[in-house]
Amino acid sequence: MHTDFGYFEEDSMGKPYDVKLLRRLFPFTKPYRMLLFGSIVLVVLITLLDLALPYVTKIAIDRYIVPAKYTVSTDAGEQQGEKKRFYIVDLEDPEIKTVVKKYPRLFQTEGSVSRIEFGELNKIESRDLSLLRSNDIRGIVTAAAVFLILIFASFCFNFLQQMIMEYTGQQIMHDLRLSLFQHIQSLSISFFTKNPVGRLVTRVTNDVQNMHELFTSVISFVFKDLFLLTGIAAVLMSISWRLALVSFAVVPVVLFASFMFAGKARNVFRTLRIKIAEINTTLSETISGMKVIQLFGMETENFKRFKRINHENYMAGMRQIKIFGIFMPFIEFLGVLALAIVILYGGSGVLKESISLGALVAFISYVRMFFRPIRDIAEKYNILQNAMASAERIFLILDTHEKLPQPESPSDAMLPKLEGIAEVAMENVRFEYIPGEAVLKGVSFKVQTGEILAVVGPTGSGKTTMINLIIRFYDPLSGRVLINGTDIRSYPPSLFRNRIAMVMQDPFLFSGTVRDNICQGNRQVSDEEMAEILKASNCRSVVDKMPDGLDTVLSEGGLAMSSGERQLISIARAMARNPDLIILDEATSYIDSETEEKIQNALVNLMQTRTAIVVAHRLTTARNADGIIVMNRGRIIETGTHDQLMAHQGFYHRLNLIQQVKAEA
Amino acid sequence: MKSLRLVIPYFRDRWIEVALGVLFLIIVDFLQLFIPRIIKWVVDELTAFQIDLPRLWMYALYMLGIGLLIGVFRFGWRHFLIGLSRNVEEGIRNRLFSHIQTLSASYFDKTKTGDLMAHATNDIQHIRMAMGMGIVALTDAIVLGASAIGFMLYINVKLTLYALIPMPLIVLGARFFSKKMHRYYGEVQGEFSELTEAVRERFAGIRIIKAYTRKATELSFFAGKSKAYVQSNMRLVRITGSFFPMMIFFTNLSLAIIIYFGGQQAVRATITPGDFAAFIIYLRLIAWPMMALGWVTNLIQRGRASLDRVNTIIETEPEIIEPASPATPLETFKRITFEDISFSYNGNLRSVLNNIRIEIQAGEILGIIGPPGSGKTTLLNLLPRLYDVSGGRILIDAVDIRKMRISDLRRLISNVPQEPFLFAGTIRDNITLADPLIQEEALMEAVEKAALYETIHSFPDGFDTLVGERGIILSGGQKQRIALARAFLNDAPILILDDPISQVDVETGAGIIRSISQMAGHRTIFIVSHRLSAVRFADRIISMVDGRIVGSGSHSELLETNRYYSKTYHLQELEEELDLHAY
Repeated sequence: MHTDFGYFEEDSMGKPYDVKLLRRLFPFTKPYRMLLFGSIVLVVLITLLDLALPYVTKIAIDRYIVPAKYTVSTDAGEQQGEKKRFYIVDLEDPEIKTVVKKYPRLFQTEGSVSRIEFGELNKIESRDLSLLRSNDIRGIVTAAAVFLILIFASFCFNFLQQMIMEYTGQQIMHDLRLSLFQHIQSLSISFFTKNPVGRLVTRVTNDVQNMHELFTSVISFVFKDLFLLTGIAAVLMSISWRLALVSFAVVPVVLFASFMFAGKARNVFRTLRIKIAEINTTLSETISGMKVIQLFGMETENFKRFKRINHENYMAGMRQIKIFGIFMPFIEFLGVLALAIVILYGGSGVLKESISLGALVAFISYVRMFFRPIRDIAEKYNILQNAMASAERIFLILDTHEKLPQPESPSDAMLPKLEGIAEVAMENVRFEYIPGEAVLKGVSFKVQTGEILAVVGPTGSGKTTMINLIIRFYDPLSGRVLINGTDIRSYPPSLFRNRIAMVMQDPFLFSGTVRDNICQGNRQVSDEEMAEILKASNCRSVVDKMPDGLDTVLSEGGLAMSSGERQLISIARAMARNPDLIILDEATSYIDSETEEKIQNALVNLMQTRTAIVVAHRLTTARNADGIIVMNRGRIIETGTHDQLMAHQGFYHRLNLIQQVKAEA
Repeated sequence: MKSLRLVIPYFRDRWIEVALGVLFLIIVDFLQLFIPRIIKWVVDELTAFQIDLPRLWMYALYMLGIGLLIGVFRFGWRHFLIGLSRNVEEGIRNRLFSHIQTLSASYFDKTKTGDLMAHATNDIQHIRMAMGMGIVALTDAIVLGASAIGFMLYINVKLTLYALIPMPLIVLGARFFSKKMHRYYGEVQGEFSELTEAVRERFAGIRIIKAYTRKATELSFFAGKSKAYVQSNMRLVRITGSFFPMMIFFTNLSLAIIIYFGGQQAVRATITPGDFAAFIIYLRLIAWPMMALGWVTNLIQRGRASLDRVNTIIETEPEIIEPASPATPLETFKRITFEDISFSYNGNLRSVLNNIRIEIQAGEILGIIGPPGSGKTTLLNLLPRLYDVSGGRILIDAVDIRKMRISDLRRLISNVPQEPFLFAGTIRDNITLADPLIQEEALMEAVEKAALYETIHSFPDGFDTLVGERGIILSGGQKQRIALARAFLNDAPILILDDPISQVDVETGAGIIRSISQMAGHRTIFIVSHRLSAVRFADRIISMVDGRIVGSGSHSELLETNRYYSKTYHLQELEEELDLHAY
């Protein structure tokens, strides 16, 4: 049913600036610098441990299993140059001496040492061999013990590292969510008319979550990979700098490919982020409008629309698979290519005897190690693209400064004080939502403490807009809104909003108890006060009907209550605020005349020392007012007290009749 | 694992692709084993000086060829296996969405929108990850693990058995940790839902938050939710953070065991040093599959926890169910009967409606009045079966509406809800509900009847004005009239109007009421209003208090018999007269 998913499409974005984004993310990591640093240290330690493990096995082999104590045999009759490995024993140990004596044919003794050909060892009885090599066995046991200690240490470090990283990452994300939430909350209402709730929710929840990997693994592992990379590169250079340079030849290709693919990957990730927001927006709209959808049998149409968005999400996902499906194998292929180059170049080097075979073998194994961190970094770089696509969206919101200008003041002391609202006025106010379409065309009025001002007029005449300006949801295009004679733009909004209570056309309640909804959580209301509020707002019967009275928990926005009941609760909420100025915007539209009248009377009592502005279609409301403004097409067409207005219209006798009816009630 | 039935069909339908994907993955695993072989050949031949430059070239090209093959097959498995996971994602999300649309109004009374949003995005994403990388890592782990163990067995059976000593520990550990992971992931995802709803509700109610200067309170509330989410994540990472290193530890433990036993055996010459060395190399080969296994466990537990959550929704049966054998659809009818209706929400003891008896003939207009909470809207919600009666029946002619197909029933009814709901689209779309078959004349007629024509024409984009989320750019009265036009355009024989002129001014309201009264005889109309002018022309008016009908009759009858009615009437009559003259 929509040509597009919402009112305002999200902008596509220009060229990605990762560095800029990373620099902006940096402040968020600042409070956790020590933790991040600690985790990087741990990662390096873990890497060192990982590298130490093969070394332990190497020692076990070289020192104990195949001791390097060999001599070159120069015996005549043997082929020249053949090396033989001998096991050498110390005869000073008496036990060993007995073993050696037991096998005179196998051992060749020279002074205090004796040697045996390595291959002959298995001819010795197992028990004797154990005796003979008890030192080696002890060595093996020690090696195994050291190994055990190392892997246990590695286990602990790993655990610690993961805990730290998760903690840090979660904290950073928490901070990010909070500042995003706070920022969005502080944006002006016009921002919320442009951005569907579903999209904003996606930014605060899914998009921040999407950066999880960036904070928990990418940061520390990139350091580890760089650490490994430089280490291995150094080793490679030390073995053969020429060969090293040749094998590094593919690195620029890797870099180039990464940048190329990063751009493509970013585009796809951007699309994915937008689509997820659209999915959320559609879902949230569908759920709010479910009754209409079901009643008008729109399920199929609506599903089609959702399916289309979901399919676009799928297509973007498939594009991502394609990009990564080419990119990752390509990087791996470059690794193979480097290996092939080493073999070719190094092999011919061996043939020319410019490089030793041993060096080549070592080189090959290191080159293979070299490509692992490269591949990891390339992969992480692309994970980064995903996180950055979210970061872009987040900063796009953080960079929106659609706020109403705050009064500039060097200190709080300089700000105007507001002891109470004594007078509210508008001075020739003009306003338009969309340029060129004036909604208010020069509105002026004044209302003082103890007065009730009624605003009446046909729908779309600008009544609600006027209210929106008084509470400073918007600023006027020209003219001024005044409280106590001072332009409200020179107060911080919270200063006057704290003294205003407002009941809106659409009674919005929060999930939570009825009591919390009425008290707004920030004001202690005594039982007596509450009883009075409930009576004045006619909520008593509503509350009594609820299973747990005031402590009944309302589900989402009190959906199970009727609109009229919700309106009554929102009136109670306004009364509980104990305001200087109360604004009722069509606050009784869902309420029957009798209940409305009771509320009106209560309001008149309540308002004796306060100010009230009441927007209504029904004139019942206006009857009690001290002044009435009649609006039409953004202009005030008639104004005066009720009496004046009535007299002007020749309606005085009618007014008498009204009073008569009131007397009957 | 009941929830697995959600994903199994995808494997069944796409088994060829899955099989190909797994096959390609295995091919890649084996091809990778070739590269060390080539290196070995080269080194061996170099050692023996049996190689020349062309042969070196040949080997290099071999390697490149294999590298190329690996690349191609890698692309293949990525495409098939990860593609499958995207497919599952799309499918489950569609299924979730279309299922949510079948659920009844009562479900949405108790379910939070943010919670459903978290299901459709976060949870389904987890399922996707478990499906895609989960399968890949699992296959890898099995193939590489099995081949490494195979090599080891080939070298020395006894040592292999030694090396496998930690295996039972791994299995036990994995089982233990999986259970916890599953639980904690469930908690984390639950907290994420809470967080989503907290944000959603606060942004939806931003005007109240601003007007009531609640920004600080709401921020600290949100901070609490976010903290709770962080904490549940920290509880989880205690498990995942120890599980992963544990898998590595156990793998390394095998190595320690081999050093200890194998080393001693090598010293005692029971095995050759070469065997020992080879063994250690193969054990290192196992490290990757073991890590993959750890990863898989993590991904799969996360996916399962999400799958369970999604499944809970999909298994929720709509409360309003289609009849097993629906009655034949009605084109016209003679009367609608509410037979001793009682109703209470969600099994709540307090009944909202009691012993309601109404009979209305086709073409009649029924007016309903009463104070807030008296059950007017609830009564109207029963006819299109947004809720089902708790007692009694509603009959259209002689057919219980529960015996009719829901779509047949609803097709008979056109509805204007109390709070008009607009979609984020154009005004035209909102009125026609994007039905392309609507004639321009019919649209104009409906718009005229709803007193909307001039309003629309005052917008620069006219009918193509985009109204924003929930019609945010329009005033309450404009939204209400769009909802009216929508209902007028729909030519259903029953028209339900719940307080249709509550937000429009008296003059406009009077025009609309005139349109409605002209439909008398053509349509059966139920109209609730607080303005008696909107019901006084009705054939019959019922006055409700606390879920009961306390008065019934025509306007003049009620004026005499019902105090509430007469008082309200007098209040409003004067007011409206006054109002009309005020302009």
